[in-house]
Amino acid sequence: MNSLRRFLLVSVLSALMLVNFIAALHGYRSSMVEAENLFDQKLQAMALQLSSVPLRTTNNAPAPDDESMVFQLFNADGKLVWHSVHAPDQYIAANEGFSENNFNGYRWRTLSYFNFVNGHRIMIAERLDLRYRLAESVILESIVPVVVVLPVAGLLIWLIIGQGLKSLAILAKILRGKAADDLSAVDVGQAPNELMPVIESVNSMLRRLAESFERERRFSADAAHELRTPISAIKIHLHNLRDEYGQDNESLLSLERDVDRLAHLVEQMLLLHRTTPDHYPAKFERISLAALAREVIAERYGDFVSKDQIIELLGSDGDIDGDRFAIGILLQNLLTNASKYTQHGGTIQVKIEALENRNRLVVVDNGPGISADVKERVFERFYRVGGDRHSSGVSGCGLGLSIAEHIAELHGANISMAAGDNDCGLAVTVDFPKTRTALKASRSLAMEKYGEKK
Amino acid sequence: MLLTSVIIVLREVLEAALLVSILMSLCFKLGIERSWFKWGVLGGVVGSIGLGSQLGFISSLFGGIGQEVVDAGLQIFIYICLLYICVEFINHYYQRHAVSGTLRAVLVIIILCAMSREGSEIYIYLSAFQSLPHASVSLYSGSIIGLGIGLSCCALFYYCLLSFSLLRTLILGCMLLTVVASGMLLQAGKMLIQADLLPDGQLWDSSAVLSEESLSGQLLYALAGYEATPAPAQLVLYLFGVVCMAAVVLTRYWHWQRRKVSAKVAGYEE
Amino acid sequence: MTAAFRLVLFAVSVLFYMPAIAGKPEFEVAIRQHLFEPSVIVIPANTKIKLWVSNEDTTPEEFESYELNREKVVLGGQRSLIFIGPLPAGEYPFFGEFNPKSAQGKIIAE
Repeated sequence: MNSLRRFLLVSVLSALMLVNFIAALHGYRSSMVEAENLFDQKLQAMALQLSSVPLRTTNNAPAPDDESMVFQLFNADGKLVWHSVHAPDQYIAANEGFSENNFNGYRWRTLSYFNFVNGHRIMIAERLDLRYRLAESVILESIVPVVVVLPVAGLLIWLIIGQGLKSLAILAKILRGKAADDLSAVDVGQAPNELMPVIESVNSMLRRLAESFERERRFSADAAHELRTPISAIKIHLHNLRDEYGQDNESLLSLERDVDRLAHLVEQMLLLHRTTPDHYPAKFERISLAALAREVIAERYGDFVSKDQIIELLGSDGDIDGDRFAIGILLQNLLTNASKYTQHGGTIQVKIEALENRNRLVVVDNGPGISADVKERVFERFYRVGGDRHSSGVSGCGLGLSIAEHIAELHGANISMAAGDNDCGLAVTVDFPKTRTALKASRSLAMEKYGEKK
Repeated sequence: MLLTSVIIVLREVLEAALLVSILMSLCFKLGIERSWFKWGVLGGVVGSIGLGSQLGFISSLFGGIGQEVVDAGLQIFIYICLLYICVEFINHYYQRHAVSGTLRAVLVIIILCAMSREGSEIYIYLSAFQSLPHASVSLYSGSIIGLGIGLSCCALFYYCLLSFSLLRTLILGCMLLTVVASGMLLQAGKMLIQADLLPDGQLWDSSAVLSEESLSGQLLYALAGYEATPAPAQLVLYLFGVVCMAAVVLTRYWHWQRRKVSAKVAGYEE
Repeated sequence: MTAAFRLVLFAVSVLFYMPAIAGKPEFEVAIRQHLFEPSVIVIPANTKIKLWVSNEDTTPEEFESYELNREKVVLGGQRSLIFIGPLPAGEYPFFGEFNPKSAQGKIIAE
């Protein structure tokens, strides 16, 4: 039972067909019996009339017939005294009453009737195939419609079932079209009673899910926010301690590194929360991707220099509608990642290309790249390739790409990963829609896709 | 003409379609894909026309008993195929593995043989009488009614079988296949008796209780090869068919049950 | 089917069938215009007989009898063999399944 609609159509139509056809057959059979009775009655009436015909001689001229009905008339002595042209010379039937016989190359319905008044015996025969055909042609008139109407019945049943299952189809469509982060209640309109329990439990599940999502989101944001103050305090204390114990104290140096990392993590967590598309109060303006990229590269230039990496910016135009701060963060995260995971002396390129209806930003490096099986996972929060034992040996919190994804989504952009040039390194591609209207359309699309991926 | 067409078409359709619906429902329940079905039907149509158009030659074989020998051969062949299918279905129930090409081929062949055997008679009948001017309406409406009743019965039967749990469908399906397959042996016996290769006789006459001409008689004939006046040889063949198939199926079933129990025991011992 | 293949089948069939041919009374029934002629066949009881059914129509016919447990398609213009019996004395109706209204007959065993 793959499809409810097909099951209903086939089984309802089968039941209908079975019942109808059997009824039609039954009607056919009893009509045929009835027709035979009528024909027999006609034979009987004719036999009665013919046997009462007064005959003067024993040698009457044969009566004309139409080959479909013949008769023989015998007098009281059993002598054939009158017959129709095509009647045979011998007794047609041996027994009194109705019987079926073969002669003249046909099968006949024969009545042998004895008239007690004048002692005549009449044998009258009618061709079976003809009377059968005549009866059938009449009865068929009522049978054929039963057969012909069946496709119409099938079509009607198909439509009626479709109508009956409509609210189910609507529910399925709504659920299918629902974005992963859309936890609003499902509204099917006027749903039948049978479907109400399903809708109610789906809605109550969605409500509980929304609540727990909200709790989780607020908890991490609140926790991050609350952690900021003590971390700042620790930093001040650390500063004081280093003054006290000397600047070169090994433990204090590593403690400072760890506290910096903690501070970074907390900042990133807050950023992640803030850039969630639902929350972010984006101020869209026309910005030049190339100009912004130049700014960010300048800001981060120290990172590249310290690792002897070459950074190139290719392409110039590419204006998009976007939030300056958010796009800045996106570029920063992508560039930091590229720098972090590319070896000393590597090359990092930022390409900006204007395509037909979108602007493309590609950050490509010639580093180790990532394997296909983890490509999907790198966007997950706190996920880091190879965990903390990443081969590059650099630290990170695993939130950078999640944030980048949020920002891309906020702009209706599509973020994807592939191998870099010549199959080495990593290329992160972000496709921005060119204008605001396109952005709106593709944003809702991106939300849907995002939902499917989850 | 109408009633004749109904009876001829219905008899042939019921037999083949019942078999198909049992096999289809079992495959559905056991998660065996059913793409074989359309190939079987296609082959069946081609086979019907092929067998029907070659019937004159086939009849003249073996000194005039070719029709009986070929028919009996097909029936016995289907019986053996069904025996194999039953065993495979039980294996599949206990151990879900990819469906082998052999199983699929055998399924196609069963449908092909069953349909060709039944369809050739319909083909002969329809092709001979559709040219008669006064007959076509009753011929075609009769054929549609016969086809409709046969297919409806089988569609409802199919969904009925699907409504059971997997194990029940399997048990019921195997029992039905046993009965159907043994019915085929019984009919093969009838053909061999007609060809004078087996002795004739009459064990009893139950036509007063249930005549072969009635609708229920036709149904039972299609399902279990019901005969109102069976010959001793037919009964022997039928019983042989039932016992043989039941024995093979049960042996297979017990084999898997034992393995399951011993696997459990081994699990406890660990 | 090639002619050679047919020939081989034929040869095999003749060999296969040889022993059954010998010594059984033979009877003839013809089908003309969907009628059996003769429509009554009298055969000896408790004896196996050979019934030749020759269809002189152009349309095929199926010789069928529930009482005799026989069914055989006889194509137009073809002559077919059906073995019947041994039968206890009695009447055994048969009919042509393709034209059951007209093609009717019976075998009387006595």
